[in-house]
Amino acid sequence: MFMSDLQLDSASRAERSVAVSVRGVTMDFGSGSPAVKDASFDVETGSFLTILGPSGSGKTTLLRMIAGFQKPTQGTITIAGKPVDADPPNRRSIGMVFQKLALFPHMTAAENVAFPLKMRRTNPAEISGKVEKFLNLVKLDGYAERRPHELSGGQQQRVAIARALVFEPELLLLDEPLAALDRKLREEMQLEFRRIQKELGVTTINVTHDQREALVVSDDIIVMDQGLIQQHDRPVGLYRAPNNLFVASFIGVSTFIDGTLTADGLKVGDLLLPGSATPEATLGAPARGAVRAEQLRIGAGPEALAGCEIEMDGKVEDVIFEGERLIYVVGCERAPDIKFQIYHHDPHSFDIFEIGSPVRIGWHGKDMKIFNHDA
Amino acid sequence: MNNPTVDRTRFRYPLRWRVMDSLEEGASLIWPRSLSRHTGWLLLAPALLLVGILVLGLVQIAESSLHTLDTSTYLPSENYTGENYLTIVESATYLRILWRSLLGAALTVVFTLLLAFPYAYILVRTSSALVRKGLLVILFLPFFIGQVVRAYGWLIILGNSGAVNEVLGLVGVEPIRLLFNYPAVIFGLVQYMLPFAVLLLAPALTAIPQEIETAAGSLGANWLQSLWYVVLPMAKPGLIGAGLVVATLSLTDFAMPAMLGGGSQDFIANAIYDQFFRTANQGLGSALALVLVAIGSLIVGLVFMIFGAGTLGMGAKK
Amino acid sequence: MANFKNGLSRRSVLRAGVAGGGAALLSTLPGTRLLAAEPAKPAEIIVRAWGGEWVDALKAGVSDPFTKMTGIAVRHDLTEDNEIQPKLWAAVAQKRVPPIHVNWDTTTNATKSALRGVTEDLSDLSNLKNTLDLAKPVGLDGYPIVNTYGYVYVLAYRPEAFPDGAPTSWKALLDPKFKGRIALYNDGIGFHFPAQVAGGGKLEDIPGNMDACWKFIQEVKAQEPLLGEDPDFTNWFQNNEIDLACTISTNALAAKKNGVNIAWTVPEEGCKFDTDGLWVPKGLPENELYWAKQYINFAITKDAQQIWCNGLGLPGVVPGLTPPADLVGDPSYPVKPEDFEHLIRISNKVQVENESVWFAKFKEIMQG
Repeated sequence: MFMSDLQLDSASRAERSVAVSVRGVTMDFGSGSPAVKDASFDVETGSFLTILGPSGSGKTTLLRMIAGFQKPTQGTITIAGKPVDADPPNRRSIGMVFQKLALFPHMTAAENVAFPLKMRRTNPAEISGKVEKFLNLVKLDGYAERRPHELSGGQQQRVAIARALVFEPELLLLDEPLAALDRKLREEMQLEFRRIQKELGVTTINVTHDQREALVVSDDIIVMDQGLIQQHDRPVGLYRAPNNLFVASFIGVSTFIDGTLTADGLKVGDLLLPGSATPEATLGAPARGAVRAEQLRIGAGPEALAGCEIEMDGKVEDVIFEGERLIYVVGCERAPDIKFQIYHHDPHSFDIFEIGSPVRIGWHGKDMKIFNHDA
Repeated sequence: MNNPTVDRTRFRYPLRWRVMDSLEEGASLIWPRSLSRHTGWLLLAPALLLVGILVLGLVQIAESSLHTLDTSTYLPSENYTGENYLTIVESATYLRILWRSLLGAALTVVFTLLLAFPYAYILVRTSSALVRKGLLVILFLPFFIGQVVRAYGWLIILGNSGAVNEVLGLVGVEPIRLLFNYPAVIFGLVQYMLPFAVLLLAPALTAIPQEIETAAGSLGANWLQSLWYVVLPMAKPGLIGAGLVVATLSLTDFAMPAMLGGGSQDFIANAIYDQFFRTANQGLGSALALVLVAIGSLIVGLVFMIFGAGTLGMGAKK
Repeated sequence: MANFKNGLSRRSVLRAGVAGGGAALLSTLPGTRLLAAEPAKPAEIIVRAWGGEWVDALKAGVSDPFTKMTGIAVRHDLTEDNEIQPKLWAAVAQKRVPPIHVNWDTTTNATKSALRGVTEDLSDLSNLKNTLDLAKPVGLDGYPIVNTYGYVYVLAYRPEAFPDGAPTSWKALLDPKFKGRIALYNDGIGFHFPAQVAGGGKLEDIPGNMDACWKFIQEVKAQEPLLGEDPDFTNWFQNNEIDLACTISTNALAAKKNGVNIAWTVPEEGCKFDTDGLWVPKGLPENELYWAKQYINFAITKDAQQIWCNGLGLPGVVPGLTPPADLVGDPSYPVKPEDFEHLIRISNKVQVENESVWFAKFKEIMQG
């Protein structure tokens, strides 16, 4: 199947060595609940891990602890097999690209890139060779003498990457460096990060709140919320099989349906909706079903919904045009409190259901995930 | 839902806006809107006037510097002459005083910046609001105490029977003459200039994002390297601005050399005072004053030439 | 305030002791006072004065009685003498009304103003006929200024530093044990003439040959003297910064009154004797000029002099004054001709003509 192409099998996983190991790390600033609670995970050598979460989820704190800017209240961080808890940032072999890049404005692009080598007392000949190589790697040859303010946003990003990598650190950390870029440049740079990372094979930990970025660039994703790791998985696994409601709602667009879990599915009023319940979900307890917008089908009549176990009549309440696709917001008499959000893309026709048009919607039972839901 | 929430969401026209409205109305009576494109000049006028008067005074000083004093009538000579300038150039005393003032200004700049930099750095970087407030209070307190009063304070503290010598006396040290010498003048100047330097440095340091220093650390710099390669170069505009202000204020200072120098540590300003008020030789005094203005302008001009006016945070970048 | 009280008490003693004192006071006023021709009185006249003991004495001896007699209030302007000078010069040059009516000034400074021609002639003051020669400025025509008392630049010393008695020579300044503990005026005023003698020169050679003076001052420079102005000396004695100083006896007297153990002497080489005086700047309205002159005329009456000069501890310019009890026979309070033997008087004209040169030379040595 398509999925298995992306997923590495467990055997090949085991062969890989661990570059970073985080064990039971907690950060408590002493105000309310801890910023990070008991985080444990490994990062494989040469892989690209993204820590994804909303602001305040603890993802940046986690990154800063790995970088050494903050000391964990509890727990141990190991880099390349060596515990680094006692090492200050400049003693850890870490290259970091900062949110606002933090380029040195008084230095040229080349001097910025040379800086970490100079700090390591590398000899001048070696410095100039490496600076050239890395400027080349980030496609900035010819810009060596420019100061940061003479470079475009994308070029500044490239200088920051080259500076973080030139001393060949064990680990590259990315602290939302793309957040401030416009969308087109951001998507271009995402691919650049990916290319450079693969070319050098450097282990990378990226922090972002942008789910799309996480899915595009990462080998692995950790989703965080309220200081807790919610799920650690490959991008496809995360998207297809969210562990809990938070992950399901944070990644992708879904329609949520509240009800009670029964052996046959989710009971909503007099409706019984089949679905696949997570192992944690308990029978008879309040539960919430989630169906992704691309898995809901829409058509003028039943003929468009071939194979759907659930079908309903509805009426189009809103149409959102996004260019490559449409989002319909549909209300159904049988489930009056629910606004179904449905992606629609018809490669054969540009016809659009007008607002108010009667439509029929449906989905496959396996596509609805059912989670525990404490009301 | 006809409850307080409705009241709370109602837009209330802020009092400040009301005040501004009536001020605008009043202003338009005095200065009609139709003239608004000239408003910039109007606002500039007082400053221009002030500078104009200053220039006028300077021209008068220049004029009187070209007359010598006739001691039989105590009137300035009729004819124009450059004799006063010749007197200055040929006088070992004035050259010595000039050199002393310049050296004093340079030393004061060095010591003041050495002390002000860490102070400003901690002021800007401390995460404790209490520490910051404390530092600000300590900084501003001397501003409320005039220069002369402060100098008197030092006379009392550093005097032969002052607090410092009293403490030294406790450990059996004979009173030491701490006052009335060159180091005492420099000490007084540094102490006087410190708040100015800190206030000029603080914004320059605030402009350096914390992230830049964090970055330097993550790239392998220890604190000294980070200071030397990153913070100091980035603080350069502030350092130059503060240095320039401290240098010009010290170069032209009167009170500290007069009070802490014991009479034998004159700066140029003291020499000018003597000519104007002690020997009534306005011509020579004027010539000295112009020499001081010229030296001050030369220093400022040189700094601007070398570092660019942008270094003071004025005008365009670099 | 001690001085003020002294002045008052002395005044009451005078009233009780001098028969017909009141009549004498009246007689000092010009007869014209009773005539309709007397010019209109201004509400006040402004007299520039030195602060502290100085203005207290003037107020008690001259200003207050003058107000009592004439009804004209006297305001004291405490601008420094050398700072009011350019203002007065500028006012006269620009034909403005000067900011003060009467200037209390050193005779040297006043001579500069007289040479510049900004002073009113005071020769017609009726009370001048009762004064000593001291009242007449030397080397000037008429009375552009009236000297009102003399003073001596004494050698003041701390008695603890001289257990064997007062120093007898200015050469005491060169004693190594006083290094850094001696003081002079910062323009050298008062010191040049005794230095000329102490350096082995002759007073007659002033101003032609003052090598001896400069040689001696050079030696003094090696002793690292403090240089200051009147208030500094009092402070320095008080704070134990100095043991020896060349200063006006009045400052030493003030320090003594403030409880500082201090004495003074006129060494064998002699001391500079100089005078202060009063003058009226040109440019006053006719009536104000008249009353300003009347103020000075009153200041040289015996009664005014007795209180004013005793407050300062200085000898006045009218004969028959009673010196303060503690200054009888004091070398800084000359009365008899032999008292003046050790005092050096040089024409103010010579002084002002050479002041710039002397000043520059003194600075050259001291700023080294």
